[in-house]
Amino acid sequence: MSTDAILFWILAFMTVSSALTVVLITNPIYCALSLALTMVGVSALFVTLNAYFLAGVQMIVYAGAVLVLFVMVLMLFDLKHELQAFTRGKMTGALKLASIGLLAGLIAGAILMSNGILLTKSEAFTSPDMASDTTKQLGHLIFSQYLFGFEALGVLLMVVAVGAVALSRSKGGTHAKS
Amino acid sequence: MPNLDFLTEVGLTHYLILSAVIFCIGMAGVLLRRNAIVILMSIELMLNGVNITFVAFSSYLGKMEGQIMVFFVLTIAAAEAAVGLALAVAIFKRFKEVNIRFFENLKG
Amino acid sequence: MGQDTFQITVNCIKLVLVFLMMVQAVPILVWLERRGSAFIQNRLGPNRVGPLGLMQLLADAVKFLTKEEFFPAGGVKFLYYAAPVAALVPATLAFAAIPMSAPVHIDPFEMFGKNWGPYTFFWQGFEINVGIVYILGVSSLGAYSILMAGWGSGNKYSLLGALRASAQIISYELALGLSIVGIILLYGTFNLGEMIAAQQGLLHFQFLGHTVESTWLPNWGIFYQPLAAVIFFAATFAESNRLPFDLAEGEAELVAGFHVEYGGFKMLLFFIGEYGHMMVAAGLMTTFFFGGWSIPGVSYESVYQWAQGAAATNSGASLLAGLIHFLVWTVKFAIFLWIFIQVRWTLPRFRYDQLMDLGWKTMLPWALGNTIITAIVLLIAHS
Repeated sequence: MSTDAILFWILAFMTVSSALTVVLITNPIYCALSLALTMVGVSALFVTLNAYFLAGVQMIVYAGAVLVLFVMVLMLFDLKHELQAFTRGKMTGALKLASIGLLAGLIAGAILMSNGILLTKSEAFTSPDMASDTTKQLGHLIFSQYLFGFEALGVLLMVVAVGAVALSRSKGGTHAKS
Repeated sequence: MPNLDFLTEVGLTHYLILSAVIFCIGMAGVLLRRNAIVILMSIELMLNGVNITFVAFSSYLGKMEGQIMVFFVLTIAAAEAAVGLALAVAIFKRFKEVNIRFFENLKG
Repeated sequence: MGQDTFQITVNCIKLVLVFLMMVQAVPILVWLERRGSAFIQNRLGPNRVGPLGLMQLLADAVKFLTKEEFFPAGGVKFLYYAAPVAALVPATLAFAAIPMSAPVHIDPFEMFGKNWGPYTFFWQGFEINVGIVYILGVSSLGAYSILMAGWGSGNKYSLLGALRASAQIISYELALGLSIVGIILLYGTFNLGEMIAAQQGLLHFQFLGHTVESTWLPNWGIFYQPLAAVIFFAATFAESNRLPFDLAEGEAELVAGFHVEYGGFKMLLFFIGEYGHMMVAAGLMTTFFFGGWSIPGVSYESVYQWAQGAAATNSGASLLAGLIHFLVWTVKFAIFLWIFIQVRWTLPRFRYDQLMDLGWKTMLPWALGNTIITAIVLLIAHS
């Protein structure tokens, strides 16, 4: 068994189990913390796929910023006791679960059946000095071919920042002038 | 003795199945949970499942476009989380509750 | 990890050594901090146990280990116990990626009747090509331990301290990241080792057709990016939650912030985490702005040639040169750690709104401006 395979199975186990924790545990704080663990696992998976830069960005953006925000908001809300964590109704719940299972089965079946069409062995990305190259290539592509999308993202982020501030500064908050 | 090659030979298929599993877990969270913030978290989970697919394809096909898509998805997910949390805070301030059961009267 | 058994073994030993180095530096730093603060405040400090109070560390360790195990009422057990461990992890992982000396080249040799090929070992826990991104990503996980501690203690002061601390860490991460962008543009790499390699020799650069050369100034990053250095250093103070930005602790207002309810060994783990962040910051300062392990005025080649005279083989010479550069790196590193301590005992604490103003309205715009100006200047210089 190669180290790659061992690493993959450990990371897969960690990611899936912490993702399950997010969905199944009723205390939202634990949900957020285990989601952070999922993000760390996903970024480690990116490392196994030689996407070093994206792994770092995933850590900085998701684990370092977005989920800290989630945790902070949850701590401010103080939602220790939840009346109802899951949806009501046995029938609808079963229906939803069945539809999710069906979707999962469909996707897995599709992937397994198309096994021959997709590549199975990594050939292109085996040299160890590929890491810096992918980062450089990523930079070149973003700032040449996908420049428009990049700029549009910048505009979107600007709008979102203004919108988030406007939304959260509602009347009657701590900043209200009485 | 069953064939255990799938355990030792990790390939593209493994990553795709893993991402499908994570996506479906996230979808289950969106459908089953009632806490608005946990629903937001589950959406992040779904997006991450998709990200794994993108990176796996880009790595195994040797093309960078997949990673660029992940870059965009990351940014948009962060923006979405910011707006979603701002909305959740606004709702919580008004109703003292984040359970979506109480906001069904928003429709109509 | 490596190609064969020898390389894997050496790399594993290196990882353990780097971890031990970080953990062992903490008691020395605590002693330095106590004696240093006493020196600054014109008093004696701990001087009873052993010569110069050096044995105080051992006494402290015994005290920390024998304290009563304590769990606050109304706390959350899992988070309360997990938080100190989580505090240690990010700093340790980040510190492992900091290069401490010149790479060591080992020539092929024979051992156990086998030939072992040529190796190159780096003086760091592990060599990673996107070092900066990795360090930023890992150390941004530090906010979790604080939040976990604050929530898990079930204490108002803890929670307030934790919220303050995490908000502060998120805010200053922006200024920190943006101040590094100028450096990355300048050297064109994410690799910390390559950055240090680019800072060798004397200050010289070309601009608008002129070649600027200095006769004695070393080619360090601080001469190209002074503003980035100032912003980066200030932001690392906020990241490691130390005075003048230790709003999280604020003992006058919040008792002790997020670790009110912690005592004994758990408290010690938080301590190690804080000092670890400090060490990462000092290591990054040396790497980005002060030439890393390079000796000002003396090139690596001359040191290597001298070492060749002293050692029998090329491998030994490489090792000796690496050791010398490691000592130089340690001196630079220690200077920055001392500055951390000096600042802590010199400056008063900020008010919370002042802290946020400084982060968002002063440091962020300046860092952005620095990035843009660096980009423009580099564009002109390269065209």
